[in-house]
Amino acid sequence: MATITAPRPDVQSARPPISARRRRGRNDLTGYAFLAGAVFCFALFSWYPMVRGVVMSFQRTRRGVTTWVGWDNYSRIVHDPSFWTAWKNTLHFTVLALILGYAVPFFVAILLNELRHAKGYLRALVYLPVMLPPASALFLFKYYAYDPSDAGLFNAVLKLLHLPTSQWMQSSTATMPAMVIASTWMNMGGAVLIYLAALQNIPGELYEAAELDGAGIWRRIVTVTIPQTRLILSLMAMLQIVATMQLFIEPLILANGAGTQDSATSVAYLIYQHGFFQNDLNGAAALGVIMLIVLAGFSAVYVRLSARQD
Amino acid sequence: MTRTLIAESQLRRGRGRLVYGLLLAGVLVGFTLIFIGPLYWMVTGALKSGTEIAQTPPTLFPTDPQPQNYADAWSRLNLAKLLFNTFYYALGALLFQLVLDTAAAYALSKLRPRFGNAILGLMLATLMIPAMVLIIPQYVTVIDLPLVHLSLLDSPFAIWLPAVANAFNIFLLKRFFDSIPEDLMSAAVMDGATPLRTLWSIVLPISRPILGVVSIFAVTAVWKDFLWPKLVMPSPETRTVSVGIYAFSGGTPMNIVVAAAVIAAVPTVVFFLIFQKSIVSGLTAGGLKE
Amino acid sequence: MSAPQNRRVAALALVAGLGLSLAACSTKSDNSSDASGKVTITVDCQPVGAQQELLRDWNADVAEFQKLHPNITIKSVSVGEQCNNPPDFTARLQGGTVTDVFYGYMTDLDQVLDSGQAMEITEYVTKDTIPTWDSLDAGAKAAFSDGGKVYGVPTKNYSMGLVYNKNLFQQAGLDPKNPPKTWAEVRTAAKRIAALGNGIAGYSDYSAANTGGWHFTAELYSQGGRLVSEDGKKADFNNPMGRQVLQNLKDMRYGDDSMGAKQLLQWPDLLTNAAAGKVGMFIGAPDATTAIVTQFQGKYQDWAMGPMPGQDGPAKATLGGGEGYFVKKGLSPEQVRAGLMWLAYEKLTPGKGQFDYVRAKPENQPVGLPQPQLFTVGSDAYRQDLDLRKANANVNVEDFAAFENNPVPVRFEPPNAQAIYAVLDSAMSAVLTDPNANVDALLKTAEDKVNGLLATR
Repeated sequence: MATITAPRPDVQSARPPISARRRRGRNDLTGYAFLAGAVFCFALFSWYPMVRGVVMSFQRTRRGVTTWVGWDNYSRIVHDPSFWTAWKNTLHFTVLALILGYAVPFFVAILLNELRHAKGYLRALVYLPVMLPPASALFLFKYYAYDPSDAGLFNAVLKLLHLPTSQWMQSSTATMPAMVIASTWMNMGGAVLIYLAALQNIPGELYEAAELDGAGIWRRIVTVTIPQTRLILSLMAMLQIVATMQLFIEPLILANGAGTQDSATSVAYLIYQHGFFQNDLNGAAALGVIMLIVLAGFSAVYVRLSARQD
Repeated sequence: MTRTLIAESQLRRGRGRLVYGLLLAGVLVGFTLIFIGPLYWMVTGALKSGTEIAQTPPTLFPTDPQPQNYADAWSRLNLAKLLFNTFYYALGALLFQLVLDTAAAYALSKLRPRFGNAILGLMLATLMIPAMVLIIPQYVTVIDLPLVHLSLLDSPFAIWLPAVANAFNIFLLKRFFDSIPEDLMSAAVMDGATPLRTLWSIVLPISRPILGVVSIFAVTAVWKDFLWPKLVMPSPETRTVSVGIYAFSGGTPMNIVVAAAVIAAVPTVVFFLIFQKSIVSGLTAGGLKE
Repeated sequence: MSAPQNRRVAALALVAGLGLSLAACSTKSDNSSDASGKVTITVDCQPVGAQQELLRDWNADVAEFQKLHPNITIKSVSVGEQCNNPPDFTARLQGGTVTDVFYGYMTDLDQVLDSGQAMEITEYVTKDTIPTWDSLDAGAKAAFSDGGKVYGVPTKNYSMGLVYNKNLFQQAGLDPKNPPKTWAEVRTAAKRIAALGNGIAGYSDYSAANTGGWHFTAELYSQGGRLVSEDGKKADFNNPMGRQVLQNLKDMRYGDDSMGAKQLLQWPDLLTNAAAGKVGMFIGAPDATTAIVTQFQGKYQDWAMGPMPGQDGPAKATLGGGEGYFVKKGLSPEQVRAGLMWLAYEKLTPGKGQFDYVRAKPENQPVGLPQPQLFTVGSDAYRQDLDLRKANANVNVEDFAAFENNPVPVRFEPPNAQAIYAVLDSAMSAVLTDPNANVDALLKTAEDKVNGLLATR
């Protein structure tokens, strides 16, 4: 990802590095001491919960007594009426978010990279929504933008343009696109800035050469820009998939949870429902494990695909 | 300035210049509308009365501004307390991360103890695991810590300590430390400086840019987080501002809720405007080196 | 939040306090203690700061109680506007951060017992701790018991009826003294009220965050239906009664457009609209009017209540429920007794705490509502409470006469209610947001889903 490198100090010394081996013993101890705090936190809040989650998914607590129940939790979760709906919705969101939330920032970045003026202003502008607490931004969308009456901001704009208005969150077909729009608006700034950085690393000669070959703007994007940023593009795709699979706060705030006709129920929301509404933390843990396996599958495919391309 | 998609010369010529001008104007107006417009709508909408907000078509300016909405939001939601809580959690998370993650990254980069790489690998592996997957077991861990059986519910440590387990920040710090020349370090060691002293007086001073970036990430992460604080801070006195607004959103008129949402957004927006340069450059500058 | 260090502090002197408390309740007791010792207990569901008057009353009660029982210290904890907001409640329960004496719904019993946080209090609930215990409604007590063991003390009960806005009835030319008795009459009235315009919904109902399923159940009961079969293994709403519930709503929403344009409402959303005078009728319990006053800045004077409407006559049944307090496992006997005595004082004594009508009246809370009706009809406590209620009533008795004089059999929620409600939210939201919703298909889908769900519980 983005990094900053240390300024090269003007030390001209040519002293040979002291053999690391000689200080090994002492350094080990000091090293562990320096690591201790972070390792403790990782152990307690990342590594241990990983194991705990898997263990929990095979247990069940009833009347204060925890017992092993084999695959019962998985069976209950898979038979949950919302299980497949939640996966379908989550994948729907992921795909829409890839189209909108992935392509848009890339082309915005290309556009911004071509502009020679107001660079700082535009960059700050795009990144501004990222800084809003998501709850703030989503209440704005919920109450003002997605008001189903003609008093709503979006419907007023649509009317002004003589386009049909929408019921937004009250329509089972508009719910998903509405959540993607809100989510993209809130989150695209980070991606734009990262793409911008990648674009700046493309050697100008490549464009030069392409242009000499008679390539138009579009062809230059296809033959130069995209191949040159392929690595970062595929990395961002992976990150985006992982992020969108965790869709939670958008349904919770915009759709009051499940949304109309379960059109907003996401896997993450289902975890929350089971854990905190249905007295079923074990089932929720099982769903978490299922989610992990699915994401691991995605990562495996990603790794294989990117390996093949290289 | 290196050449980009479109040649500089092409933009200077007659037609190109016109197109560029139109495009620039379009982008300026469009982006301002898209990114500031909703914020304007939010700030002014919260000033409207309940009847004005239901008016069709909506009004561009509040006809009868009700600043009272903001005052109501402030007092009814006890925003001072909520903001203080959030600030307190963010500051604590920042300090814990700066101290523990910097120390860890330094150890992994410069002290390189045995199994250091294995530990780093285990840390980086957590980057692959989305938060939602771990939310339930993490939660049951926090409410009943293994061995000691302490509950961190409603305690700021429930936010501070998990924040330290941030592999991305450790990774950023480690990569930066890696780029500090070994010469510099060995010079210090020759002079008999302890690792702590080296970290303090050599590494940290030249690491200011990356420390800034990590700090910004640490603070905004806490400020923006929702589900975790919602789960581990269930009491009204310990809520963060986002969770508090959500809790109040039912049973509070929507203009008041939005007024509260505006107030909640002010600190991060101001923070952004102040640190804009380092935030933007933190994300972009230096390029992406794989 | 509990104070384990205090648990060991024996407090025989507590019994001395008990004597005082009982004296205060004009009941005799044995006073047999001489030791000294302090007991501290934490209690939740203290009103939040925004509910200024309720908070002041609560704090005054705590002070008064502590004066009566100098050895008991009550530490009040506020857990939010809704004392049992399911996710937060689960969090506290799982995290063991519930207070020593903690609030819960009747339907929470299973979850509370599963968490292992509640203590069996059978031997403690006696006349000595709760003087009115024997007068408490048997059904309400049973809801907090499991296998003959008592785990909680009921402090409120309710059953649902039709809550309506008298002013809007008047404006629409309807008779506020004669509320609709059937769903057909509700529909007619809703149409007339909605015709007033101004964004007013004639009738309003829920469809989000499990509240849609909750009201579907209440309305299904009114049709004579039930949510699940007797053995609890199968869904039992895909039938003409279930169809009628959804059809009624669909007719009002899209046939008459009398339910307003904004749907996907959850509990506070509807009451916010109601308090703002934008709702003509809704299904609710008498204490909905209290919530409208204390939480949503409305006026109880606007509201009246009729019985639950039925399809072709009186409703066959209505949904009932209630709330109470549990006691946390691991408290000392003294703490348990102190907690129960506090509950007795604040929640179960005619003329005190929640039944202190003399105080509530000038605070503009509704006094004289027909519920809670915690005491068995005919018992001393019942008569005392009824007399006080009548003497201090500020609500017009007539406004609730239709509800009170037409009692409807009460049914409670089934097991796994929240999971089933989550399924039914979908059907409710469909008829309220989709003009082309197919009621039969919705019920079939919901039935399949609930059957699948029950098969694995």
